[in-house]
Amino acid sequence: MLTAAKNQLRVSALSIKYNLMREMTNHASFIISVIFMMLNNATFIIQWIILFSIRSDFGGYRMKQVMLLWAIACSSYGIAHILFNKAFTISDSIMKGQLDSFLVQPKNVLISLITSETNTSSIGDLLYGIVVVLIVCPEKIGIYFLFSIFSAISFTAIAIQFGSFAFWIVRSDVIADYVISSMIHFSTYPADGIFKGVTKLILYTIVPVEFVNYMPLRLILHFNFEEFLYVLLFSVGITTIAIVTFYRGLRHYSSTNLMCGRIN
Amino acid sequence: MDYAIQVTNLKKTYKVKQKEKGLIGSMKSFIHPMYKEIDAVDNISFSVTPGEVIAFLGPNGAGKSTTIKMLTGILYPNQGYCKVWGLDPSKHRKKLAYHIGTVFGQKEQLWMHLTPYDNFQFFAAVYDMKKEEANQRIQELIEVFELEEFVNTPVRNLSLGQRIRCEIVTSLIHHPDILFLDEPTIGLDPVVKENIRSLIKKMNKEFHTTIFLTSHDIGDIEKLCKRIIIVNHGKIVLDDSMEEIKYHYLHKKILEVKLKEEMELSHIPGVTVIKSKGANLKLELDTNVTTVGEVMNQIDTNNLIDINISNIPLEQIITQIYKRGDES
Repeated sequence: MLTAAKNQLRVSALSIKYNLMREMTNHASFIISVIFMMLNNATFIIQWIILFSIRSDFGGYRMKQVMLLWAIACSSYGIAHILFNKAFTISDSIMKGQLDSFLVQPKNVLISLITSETNTSSIGDLLYGIVVVLIVCPEKIGIYFLFSIFSAISFTAIAIQFGSFAFWIVRSDVIADYVISSMIHFSTYPADGIFKGVTKLILYTIVPVEFVNYMPLRLILHFNFEEFLYVLLFSVGITTIAIVTFYRGLRHYSSTNLMCGRIN
Repeated sequence: MDYAIQVTNLKKTYKVKQKEKGLIGSMKSFIHPMYKEIDAVDNISFSVTPGEVIAFLGPNGAGKSTTIKMLTGILYPNQGYCKVWGLDPSKHRKKLAYHIGTVFGQKEQLWMHLTPYDNFQFFAAVYDMKKEEANQRIQELIEVFELEEFVNTPVRNLSLGQRIRCEIVTSLIHHPDILFLDEPTIGLDPVVKENIRSLIKKMNKEFHTTIFLTSHDIGDIEKLCKRIIIVNHGKIVLDDSMEEIKYHYLHKKILEVKLKEEMELSHIPGVTVIKSKGANLKLELDTNVTTVGEVMNQIDTNNLIDINISNIPLEQIITQIYKRGDES
């Protein structure tokens, strides 16, 4: 069991290494995509500077909290897309029959699939998050990394969960895309402080940014065991549900005869 | 191990959405979707012994790829069971993967930006091979498959033939007992096809690997396989040795005669003129009705310039069997 896990990790690490090697082959485009992603994220600071010049807080959030919220959103998005990029297009892989080559290997299909691709510009997201934390509250860098990993795992699990519906529903990629883009959208502004009622309920359920971003933010600033337990339980829970959904769905996998290959 | 592959009453059904033509049809289908169940594989049974080279043939949509996918653990059957190297693919997919190799001509598994050598190292890691063992095996396969020239060139810069050779090597890294080849020579030129065929033959001879091949290329089948299974509409329509097939179906001969002067031969029973161009004739004769000798007796030897007698192509035989399956 332990050897199998070790071997799986070895293959996944190799896969990620080869992906990064590929991205780094094109020096210029690699550096440009990383830098431009950081600049793209930074432009939103100007928007918030203007907004905070009008009001002192938004739903209880001040500039520092908003910056930290951005940092968590960027780094969790970054980690998830650097390590598990294929999780975000899983429905496409299912519809195009791209699981075949992973199914004939003696490895975990889900892990092999999601680690088979890397998004270069996401390195810019991760770096941006780190830079922001180093400016806003450098003393919190350790705990920030911990919760960024939790958020990245939960974010990936949500993508797998909704993407796996493609085993049953044709074109379910629309649902997955909607949920993921809503997650990204809500995770970059203080929606939990602004909205109440039904919208807040949505933030705890269908688009659970409360557990993926807002609670980790509060924990970085003021750690409390109860909320930590919620975040931990959510991460474990959603990951388990995603894995179960994927493997249940795999029994309905119908493959295709489309010509395809690894385009990397 | 008595059987490398054992299939009993295997069945796979797909649910396919049905839709009438045009926008109205789309709207009807949206409100009241209709589905049709299609038996891609319908209750098939067969077995393959270790070391056998078998051709699994059929027209497009006959159920060949679906069968291979069930045998390799990619698809779950709806009914029946199969055992590959003593393992149930739907229950022991990972265990089975160590015993089988797969080459899907339409689906590449190589990393395009890596060299074949790096690819082989990656797949050796996938099969938990130790470094020394992997290096030794890779070297052995490089020599057998003559890859020295391009083993350090990125896959994306290789020709299609070189890439397919690398795909086959990738599937052999872990010493598989059974190799599933799904149209391995698709899109290749005749020289490369021949090369691939001789390599597959060599592999069967040297490593005693069981080969399960699907192909639309008759050359692949003639050169490699001793047994043929033909499927059509998900059912097995023929399971026989190549020799038996030739014996039963090769009662028709093709006679190409070049004469000095034109002459009429279509009146002989069992003879059909396929082509006639002046004094050149191409005839098909049924040896159940007449003999080559009888036809020869009708030709004045002084009038004969050249003659060529050949069997009808295997392709034609297989087409006849497909048609027979369609009619039944």
